[in-house]
Amino acid sequence: MNPKKYLTLTRMGIMESLQFRMSTVIIFVGNLLYLIVVYFLWKAIYASSGQEVVNGMTFSDTLIYLVLATALFNFMEMYTVWQIGRAIQSGSIVLYLLKPMEIRRYIFMEYSGNFIVNFFATLFPTFIVVNIVTHGAVPLGLNLLYFVVSVVIAVMINYNIDFFVGTICLYTESIWGINIMKQVIVLLLSGATIPLAFFPESIRNIVNWLPFQSIYNTPLTLLLGKTADIKDVAVILGTQLFWFLATYAVSKLFWKISLPQITVNGG
Amino acid sequence: MKRKGLLFYARLYCKILAQDLKSKMSYRADFIISTIGMIFTNIAGFISFWILFRNFSTINGWGYYEMLFLYGFSLVSLTPAQCFFDNNWSLRQYVYTGDFIKYCFRPINLFFYYQSEVFDIKGLGQLAFGLAMIIFSWIKLGLGFTPLMLIKLVIFLITASLVMIALQTAAAATCFWIHNSFFVLDLAFRFKDYAKYPITIFSKVFRFVFTFIMPIAFIAYYPSLVILRPDEVELLSWLSPLFGIAFFYIAYRIWMYGAMKYSGTGS
Amino acid sequence: MAPVIDIKNITKEFKVLNRREGLAGSIKDLFSRDYKIVKAVDNITMSIEQGEIVGYLGPNGAGKSTTIKMMTGVLEPTSGEILVNGKLPYKNRSKNAQNIGVVFGQRSQLWWALPLVESFKLLKDIYQISDEQYDSMMKLYQSLVDIEPLLHKPVRQMSLGQRTLSDILAAFLHDPKIVFLDEPTIGLDVSMKAKIRTLIHALNKEKNTTVILTTHDMGDVDALCRRIVIIDKGKMLYDNDISHLKGFFGSYRTLKIRVDGDLRKESEVIAKEFPALKVGADEEWISVLVDEEKISVMDVLTKLQKERRIRDMQLEEISTEDVIKKIYEEGVE
Repeated sequence: MNPKKYLTLTRMGIMESLQFRMSTVIIFVGNLLYLIVVYFLWKAIYASSGQEVVNGMTFSDTLIYLVLATALFNFMEMYTVWQIGRAIQSGSIVLYLLKPMEIRRYIFMEYSGNFIVNFFATLFPTFIVVNIVTHGAVPLGLNLLYFVVSVVIAVMINYNIDFFVGTICLYTESIWGINIMKQVIVLLLSGATIPLAFFPESIRNIVNWLPFQSIYNTPLTLLLGKTADIKDVAVILGTQLFWFLATYAVSKLFWKISLPQITVNGG
Repeated sequence: MKRKGLLFYARLYCKILAQDLKSKMSYRADFIISTIGMIFTNIAGFISFWILFRNFSTINGWGYYEMLFLYGFSLVSLTPAQCFFDNNWSLRQYVYTGDFIKYCFRPINLFFYYQSEVFDIKGLGQLAFGLAMIIFSWIKLGLGFTPLMLIKLVIFLITASLVMIALQTAAAATCFWIHNSFFVLDLAFRFKDYAKYPITIFSKVFRFVFTFIMPIAFIAYYPSLVILRPDEVELLSWLSPLFGIAFFYIAYRIWMYGAMKYSGTGS
Repeated sequence: MAPVIDIKNITKEFKVLNRREGLAGSIKDLFSRDYKIVKAVDNITMSIEQGEIVGYLGPNGAGKSTTIKMMTGVLEPTSGEILVNGKLPYKNRSKNAQNIGVVFGQRSQLWWALPLVESFKLLKDIYQISDEQYDSMMKLYQSLVDIEPLLHKPVRQMSLGQRTLSDILAAFLHDPKIVFLDEPTIGLDVSMKAKIRTLIHALNKEKNTTVILTTHDMGDVDALCRRIVIIDKGKMLYDNDISHLKGFFGSYRTLKIRVDGDLRKESEVIAKEFPALKVGADEEWISVLVDEEKISVMDVLTKLQKERRIRDMQLEEISTEDVIKKIYEEGVE
């Protein structure tokens, strides 16, 4: 395996994402406005409730959680489903299959440049701003390391799910419908829009048995330092790793089974 | 040559619409999956809403059913943008490939011709959800019923719908200037989720922003006050139909300007 | 009679962004951009009469589509005057559209998922075509091509040839004064090309429609156009009859011979013998481009025969393609 060919893709990805000055600004402004809405909404919610702590979370806990969840969302957003879906519909999927690299890896490496840009453009600055504004509400210790490890696994779980859903497009003509279902399920059940702590007990029990919470809830919980015990951390990361392996296996298997569909459709 | 009045366009729209529905039926799987996806989105939205209100019974003096009314109102007023202006989502693609030029050679209004090509039936699911919420909360709130209220509701819903149409149209039009304008459109699409919250939760500055710059407050908050709290209707509420029309007109001009500017350079 | 298209000294300028190269360049582009002005069309004048078929030629990026966009009213010229049917097209885009038809060889303007007849019906409404006119057009189409099997076929299921044919029929449906055809035969097989050319010719004869044809296929030009206009880099290179074109560079003919031995080596020897002539070789033939005003083909042949045994020979008149190629490469001088 030659690392250079992967790095070339990474570099191209960085260049492409920088090419569009306007959209970089727009994404930034958009997220800022989004966070303003989130801020006022939860401020009003907490003010109306008359309580300092709801479901074990204070207003600033909730806010930090949601701000970082948003940053994480923007960091991880990949549009893989669209990419695979379009490639299937136009028949250009065959071109991917001809590349001297497994399609799963190829698409991931194409995106990896984005990850680097996004890290410096969104995730890192958000983190700094949050910590300055909250006077260091996020502890700076081992939790940062756990967080980074966890995010890497989360990105890959997210990608596996995306790839799985993208594969479904081999069977259906619909990309929009498939993608929106995925997005809605992932965002809701991963705790990206509302922290899982606010979910009713019964729903939370179900969510705990699904891979989605590993994408947002796990890294954020680790970052916010709610779990200090190394044993707990190991269990949490272990669970996440399990979900990575499980989603990887399932999505790989599904792709393998589905591949003949391409030849059936005539590409 | 005969003059092309409103009647001409109305009749033409119906004919194109009928043809579009015919062709939709030839992609049945996509239609069904997209509809399910749309229903999913609405259910998930409602679940988020419900989870929030399980924890907090009021937000800033707005009770559960009042909030539900706002939510329903926003869904209904978002429907026309979804149903009649869905082709905005493809604009980027047409512009990118140069296929957009084909719309420029017909002796009818360019904007009309472009938008008429697609009617999105799945938006009707959203309409049903929204109407159900309005009716349900209307009964629960005991607002009473007079024909005048119904007329008000219809007028304010229609003009409110122009706001989202305007936002979406203006956002889509950005593709005439910048490359990956998908983010802008996606942003406008995400923002509609915040139309359902009362604007009073925001600070003065952002009340201004969401009223005049990103006018999401006109999608549900201002117009629904007329029905919901007839005793404390603001001036802006009464003016909201005018604002709706004005926003739509501005967005239309932007779109047309971009289209004419683009079609020269592209392809 | 006044010309249908009357263009005087039009120029169109565009602002083009200079993108910088490489990673550092991308980052710089993020903060500053510099533009340069490009003249896509530079001081072009021409006038076209009703019923003419004009071949509008030029290499890629010559400014053809920019000119056409100005004629169709999509684009406003930077300077100069353009009148289509006596009106300014960009001021009356909608009205102008009523009198023109446009076909792009690669882009169908028909409703993709619908049977052709449904597209026709929509066009009938859009262009407000009367029932009588519609019926008479359909009758005309029926007499020209076998349209019946196409009418009920969804456009997306058609072959490229059928689609192009349908697009051309759709463009003539409202009996426009001018039809713009942009590479109508691109990607088609030989027999379909012939069919399309026959159709265009017939429609032009029948309806006296002015046809502006842009193409890279000289077969189209030979079959259809009496007049051609050539532009390159925005500037007009040629505007005259096609017959005049061939004499434009002197009377050229190509002499092709086959001899024993390595053709390429031999061709180099011949090139030295006749420094004034253009000599080339492929697998089968050595070809010598002869300017008959300077030296006759017979003389060349006699001289060649003295030095070597010629096993076979052919004489080709210069094709439009060769002339055009020469114009693209060398300009008019």
